[in-house]
Amino acid sequence: MTPELRRSVRQGLIGGAVVLYLASVGMLVAFDARAIITNVVNFATVLIVITFAAFGYLAGRPGKGGEPAQPFLLAGAVTGAVAGATVGVVAVLVDFLITGLEWDVRSMWTSVSPTLMELLSFGQSPIVGALLMTLLGFTAGLAAGSLHLATTITRKVILLGLMAFVFGALGAPLFKVMLDGMHIPNRWLFDRDGLTITGAIVLFAAFGLARLGSFRVGGPRQALLKVPGTSEKNLRWVISVLALLGIAVLPWIVNDFVSDVLGFVGLYILLGLGLNIVVGFAGLLDLGYVAFYAVGAYSVAILTARSSYLVGGSVTAPAVAGYTNFWVAVPITILIAVVIGVAIGAPVLRLRGDYLAIVTLGFGEIIRTLVLSDWLKAKFGGPQGLTEVAAVPFFGLNTRDPQILYYLIYAFAGLALFISYRLKTSRVGRAWAAMREDEDIAEGMGVSVIKYKLLAFATGAAVGSLGGAFFAAKLSVANPGSFTLLVSINVLAVVVLGGIGSIPGVVVGSLVLVGLPELLREFGEFRLHIYGAILIAIMILKPEGLIPDKRRALELHQPDHQPEKSVLSAEATEGIQ
Amino acid sequence: MVRLETWLGTHNVSRASLHSPIPARLRQQLWPQERKLERNRLLMKLKNYRGLMALLVVLALVAAACGSSDSDGDSDGSTNGGPPAVCASDAFGCVEVASGDPIKIGSLLVTTGPNSSLGLDSQYGIEMALDYADGTFDDTNITIQGHDVVLVPEDDGCSAEGGTAGANKLAADTQIVAVIGTSCSSAALGTADKILGDKGVTLISPSNTSPALTAEATRNPFYFRTAHNDTLQGAAVAEFAYNFEGVKTAATIHDGSPYAEGLANAFAASFEALGGTITSQDAIQVGDTDFSGVLASIQAESPELLYFPIFVGEGSLLVQQAKTTLGDSVVLTGSDGLWSDDFYAAAGDGVFLSGPDVSAFAGDAALYKDIFLPRYAEKYGSEPLSAFHAHAWDAANIVLGAIEKVAVDSGGTLYIPRSGLRDAIAATSGYTGITGTLSCNGNGDCQPSATIAVFEIVGGKQAADPVFSVVKSLE
Amino acid sequence: MTTQSAAGSRYRLFLERFPVRRFVLVLLALVIAYGGAAGSIATLRAGRFSGEVWANLFISGVARGSVYAIIALGYTLVYGILFIINFAHGEVFMAGAFTAYFVAVGLASKGMLESNPIISIGILFVVSSLVSMGVAILLERIAYRPLRGAPRLVPLITAIGASLFLQYTFRGFYGANARAYPTIPAIQGTWEIGSFPVQKVHLISILGAVALWLVLFWIVERTRVGREMRAVGEDREIAALMGVDVDRTIVFTFGIGGALAGAAGILYVFLFNQVIFTMGFFPGLKAFTAAVLGGIGSITGAALGGLILGILETVGPNLFLDGAGVPSPNQLIPIVAFGILVLVLIFLPGGFLGAPDDKSRA
Repeated sequence: MTPELRRSVRQGLIGGAVVLYLASVGMLVAFDARAIITNVVNFATVLIVITFAAFGYLAGRPGKGGEPAQPFLLAGAVTGAVAGATVGVVAVLVDFLITGLEWDVRSMWTSVSPTLMELLSFGQSPIVGALLMTLLGFTAGLAAGSLHLATTITRKVILLGLMAFVFGALGAPLFKVMLDGMHIPNRWLFDRDGLTITGAIVLFAAFGLARLGSFRVGGPRQALLKVPGTSEKNLRWVISVLALLGIAVLPWIVNDFVSDVLGFVGLYILLGLGLNIVVGFAGLLDLGYVAFYAVGAYSVAILTARSSYLVGGSVTAPAVAGYTNFWVAVPITILIAVVIGVAIGAPVLRLRGDYLAIVTLGFGEIIRTLVLSDWLKAKFGGPQGLTEVAAVPFFGLNTRDPQILYYLIYAFAGLALFISYRLKTSRVGRAWAAMREDEDIAEGMGVSVIKYKLLAFATGAAVGSLGGAFFAAKLSVANPGSFTLLVSINVLAVVVLGGIGSIPGVVVGSLVLVGLPELLREFGEFRLHIYGAILIAIMILKPEGLIPDKRRALELHQPDHQPEKSVLSAEATEGIQ
Repeated sequence: MVRLETWLGTHNVSRASLHSPIPARLRQQLWPQERKLERNRLLMKLKNYRGLMALLVVLALVAAACGSSDSDGDSDGSTNGGPPAVCASDAFGCVEVASGDPIKIGSLLVTTGPNSSLGLDSQYGIEMALDYADGTFDDTNITIQGHDVVLVPEDDGCSAEGGTAGANKLAADTQIVAVIGTSCSSAALGTADKILGDKGVTLISPSNTSPALTAEATRNPFYFRTAHNDTLQGAAVAEFAYNFEGVKTAATIHDGSPYAEGLANAFAASFEALGGTITSQDAIQVGDTDFSGVLASIQAESPELLYFPIFVGEGSLLVQQAKTTLGDSVVLTGSDGLWSDDFYAAAGDGVFLSGPDVSAFAGDAALYKDIFLPRYAEKYGSEPLSAFHAHAWDAANIVLGAIEKVAVDSGGTLYIPRSGLRDAIAATSGYTGITGTLSCNGNGDCQPSATIAVFEIVGGKQAADPVFSVVKSLE
Repeated sequence: MTTQSAAGSRYRLFLERFPVRRFVLVLLALVIAYGGAAGSIATLRAGRFSGEVWANLFISGVARGSVYAIIALGYTLVYGILFIINFAHGEVFMAGAFTAYFVAVGLASKGMLESNPIISIGILFVVSSLVSMGVAILLERIAYRPLRGAPRLVPLITAIGASLFLQYTFRGFYGANARAYPTIPAIQGTWEIGSFPVQKVHLISILGAVALWLVLFWIVERTRVGREMRAVGEDREIAALMGVDVDRTIVFTFGIGGALAGAAGILYVFLFNQVIFTMGFFPGLKAFTAAVLGGIGSITGAALGGLILGILETVGPNLFLDGAGVPSPNQLIPIVAFGILVLVLIFLPGGFLGAPDDKSRA
C-alpha cells in the first residue's frame, strides 16, 4: 500500500464516520424532510454527498512540505468509495443486528429508526443499498477530485455557485417571507420551503457569474477604483458612507423578524463592547458579565414598570410607584451598575486569571439567584419577574416596533463604539494595556493598578447595564430566565471570536454569534449542536479572532509562538507531531 | 497589464502551487506564460459577449418574474373581485389568500431544550386536528374553500426572548392567519401576546396556565387559551389534599419556573382557604440533584403532604430522596409538568399527579379514546408525550371553525378579516371538543370550567382512572 | 508619570499610609461572618433540626463533595499542565455515565446486578471510564491541540463550543429524556456505624473517591509518567529538551482526567440514579469551583475544595439562613457557596493550597 493510497483510505474512513455520526444523532432523518429543490433533492442527500465530496477533495490535495501531488482523481474516487463503503457496511451490520439477531438497537441509539435504515439503503435491500452508497461515494469523490484539474477560477466559481444555491435553499422560508413583504414576486424562485429548479439554476448562475466578474476585475475593490476620480483614500470614505447608509436603510429592506434579530445583535454589540473593555483592554477575565445585564434590566423594570407581578391571580401593588421615564431611569441604572461593578471589583482586585474568572462567575450566579429568590420576591417578582416595563419614549414613536427600536439600539451601540475607540487610544487605554501585559511592571511604572482595574470594571458595568436597560424595554419584561450563565459565556465568545481587544471584532462577533443561531432556526432542534461545532471550527481556523486587534496580533506572531502551526486546520497539524 | 500581474501574483500562483497537478519544477517553468495567455484569451472572449450575457440574464429574470406574478397573492390586477367591504371596516384589515395559496396557521411552541416534549406534544395535537377536520385521518390537511391549510411551526424556547423572536418571525409573515401557542406562559405574557396582538393576529394557547394572561389588568384582547387557569388546578389539588386525603398540613416546593411557582402559590392559597395549614413553602434550583437540605427543612415541620409542581429532571430525584427522608406517611403530589414515562419509571409507585382529566374528558370521550389516541400512537410512535395534546386539538378546531365562519371569497381570493376572526373566536360558545364543552369568556379563558383529576402511579405507570376528580370553575 | 497632579500624589500617599482596601475588606468579612454566625446561632437555638439531621446533612454533603472532588481532579490536572480551563470536562463526565447506563440495563436484564453486584459495578466503572477517557482524548486532539500557543482565552471558547456539541451529540445518540438507572440491591439501605445509620451509597461514594484520589496521587507522585506530567507543567520546552514526549504526556493527562470523570459518573449515579444529556453542566461547574477553592493545579486542593463545597451546599443554607428567617433558604445555595468562595479568596488569593500568584493571566 503506497502512502498516498493509505492516506486516501484513512480519509475515506473518517468521511464515512462523519456520515455515520450525522445519521446517529438524527440529523439525516430530520433533514430528509427539508427540501433543497422542492420535489427533486432534499437536504439529507445533499449533506451526504457534500461530506463524501469534501473528503474526496481533501484527499486529492497535495501533502505538506512539498510532498509530491497525488493522482487526485484516483485519490478522490478511492476516498469517496471507502467512505461510502464504510457507511454501507455499517448499515448492513446494523440491519443484521435488528432483523437477524432481533436486537432492539433503538432502545440505546434512539435515532436508528426504520426511516433511517431505509434512507441509508435508498429503499433497497441492505446489500444493494450498501453498493449504491459506495457508488455514490465513488462518484462524489471522483467529481470532487476532478475539481483539482480545473483552473482556480473554474473551481472557485463552481464552489461559490454551489454554496449560494445550498444556502439560498436553506434560507428559502425566510427569504420568501421577506420578498413577499416587499411585494416582489418570487414564485419562480421558491416553492414552499425549497427552491424551484429555475431558482436553483438562477442562483448558481448569478453567483457564479458574479464571482467570475469579480475575478476579471480583480475583486470589487479594484472595480471601484477603476471608476474615474476614486483613489484609495476617498474610497475608504465612500465605503464608510455606504456602510452607514446600509445600516440606516437595513430595517426597511428586511422584515420585522430580521430587524428584531438585528436589534438583538445590537444589544450584544453593546454588551460585547462593555466586556471588551474589561477582558480585552484591561485583561481581566470576567465570566459573570450577565450580572450587569441583569442589573440594568431589573433597575429599569423596577423604575418604569406600570404594574409589578401577579401571584395566584391577584394583582399586587407596584414594587415602586412606577412610571418613571426611561430616559430618567437610564442614568440611575448606570449609576447603580457602576456602584455594583466597583463593589464586585473591589474585593477581588488581588486575584488574577482564573481565580478572577470563577469569582465573577459566582457573582453572576449570585445576582441571578437573588432576583429569582422567594426571599426578595417583593422587590424583583421572583420567578414571574417584572412585567409591563414601559417602552422607550421617543418622540411619540412606537419603540416596541423592531424597526424603530433598531435605530435607538444602534445609536447607543455607536456611542459605545466611539467611547471604546477613544478609551483605547487614551492615557487610560495605555495604562490598561500596560497592566494587561504585566501588572507588576505596570505598577512599578506608576500605573495605579487598583484605580485602573476599578475603572475597567465600572466602565464595563455601565455599558453592560445599558444593554440590559434596552433589553427590558424591548421585551417589556425582566425575567430571571433571561440572565443565565449562558449569556456571560455568549458575550465572552463574541469578544474572543471577534478578536480579543478588537473593537470591529465585537461587531463581527455579534453578527456571527447572535445572528447565526437565529438564522439556524431552520435547523430546529439541531440549532445549538451546529452552533457548538461552528464555534470550535472558527476558533481552530482563526485562533486570533475574525478581526484581530493589531497589537495583540503582533504579540501572537512573535517567532517563538509559531502561530502558523495552529492556524492550519486539524488535518494539517498531523505532520507536526 | 499591471492589474493582471498583481492579480496573478496574489491569487493564482500561490493557490496554483498548492493545487496544481503538474510537478513543481515543470509548473514553475511553464506556469506564468501559459496562464497569462490562456486567461487573456478567455477575457477577450468574455468581453465580446459581456453585454449580451447580461441582457440575457436580465431578460430571463424578468420573464420568470412575469410568468409567475399572476398567481402571486400580493400582486393585484389579475383578480377581479376586489376586497369585500368587511376588510375596509376591519381595524387590522384582511389576510388575503390568493387562489392556489394555502391558508397559513402558525404555531409557537417549545420544540428545543429540556421542555421540548411539552411543545412537541401540542404540535402533534394540532397536526392531527388539521388532518382530521374533514372527518378522516388521511395525512392530508383540511381545505377551506379550496385552500389548503398548512401549519408553520415556530419555537418559543420557553422564554421571553424565544417568544419575542418567534412571534416577530410569525408576525412578519402577513399570510399567517392565527397562531396556536405559546407553550410556556413566560413566552406569551407581555411579549408574544402583545407582538401578535398589535398586528391583529390572534394567539390561542393550548398550555399556558398563568392567571396573569387572562387577568383583567394584563390581558391582550387577541389572546385566548384552551388550557385551564392555574387557579383551577391549584384549587383542585387543594381539595384533593384536604377533602380526599384528609390531610391538614402541607408543604410546597417550586423550582423557580413561573409555572411551578404560580401553581404552588395557587395551591397554598386554596389549601389555607379550606382550613389547612401550609407548614413551609420552599424552592429549589433547576439543575440541583441533591435535595437533602430542602427535605430536612421540610421534615422539620412534618407536613402530611408535599406538593411539588415541578418538572421531570428534578422531580424524579426529589421523589426518590423524599421517600427515604420523609418516610412513607407523607403524601407526595406533583402536577402535569411531571407527566412522562421517565418520571413514572424513576419515581415508582404511590406518587400522585394532578392534571386535566384525560380519562374522561368532559367533551367527546369516544373521539379521544377510539380515534385520537390510537392515531397518535400510530403516527408518532409513542404514548402522548405530555398533557396538552387534546387542548391543542381543541384550539386548532376553534381556529378552523372561526376561519370558516368569517372567510369571504371574492374573485378567487379568500379574505379573512383579522378582528373578525378574533371576534368569532371570542364568541365560541358550547363547542364540544375533547377536553370539554368550551365557551370563551370575556377575558380569553375558553376553559372557564374544567375537570381536574389526580392520578396515582401504579406499577411504574400512571393509572388509567383517576383517584380523584372535580369540576372547577373560575368564579 | 511625572505629570501627576499634587492631589493625585496626596491620594496615593494616603493610600499607602492607610490600607483602605484592606480595612474595607476586613470590615466586609466581619459583617459576613457576623451574619453567618448570627444566622447559625438563631438556627441552632430554634432547634428545628436534631443532631441526627445535621449529621445526615453532613454525610450527604461529604458524599456529594466526593463526586465534585473527583471531577475537580480532572480540571486541576489539565490546568496544571496546559493552564487552560477545560470547560467541557462536565460533558466528559456525562458521556461515561450515560453510556454505562445501557450496560447497566443490559446487566439488570440478565440479573447480574442482583447476583454479582461487585463484578457488575466493576464492569460499570470500566465502561464509564473508558468512554470518558476516549471522549477526553478526542477532545484534546480536535479542540485543544491545534490551539497550543494561542491566547489562553481561545481554548476556553472552543471548550464551550465542545461542551454544547457534546451535549447535543449525546442527546442525538441516546435521546432527550432523563433515564433512571436500574437499582443495585446490594448498595441500597443503610449500614450502622456505631449506632448511627449511614446510607450505603454515601459511604461507597466517599470510599470510592478516596481510593481514586490515592491512585491518582500515586500516579502523579511516584511513577515516571507522573514525573513527566509535572515536568511538562513546570516548563514545556525544557521538559521536551530533557526528552519528555510532551504530546504523549498531555494525551495521558487528558486520559487520566477523563477516566476519573467516568468513574465519578458511576459514583454520581449511585447517589442520584438518573442520567440525562444535560447532567454534566452543573457538576462540571461545581467541580471547577471546587478546584479553584482548593487552589487550582493542586491535587490535594481539588479534593479539599470538593469536600468543603459539598458540605457547604447541604449544610450551609439551613445553618446560616434558616434561622435568619430567609424564606426558601435552599434556593440560595449559589449565594452561600460563592459567597464563601469569595471570602476565602479575599484572604487566600490562591485558594487553600494553591500558589497565590499563578503564572497565568487572562
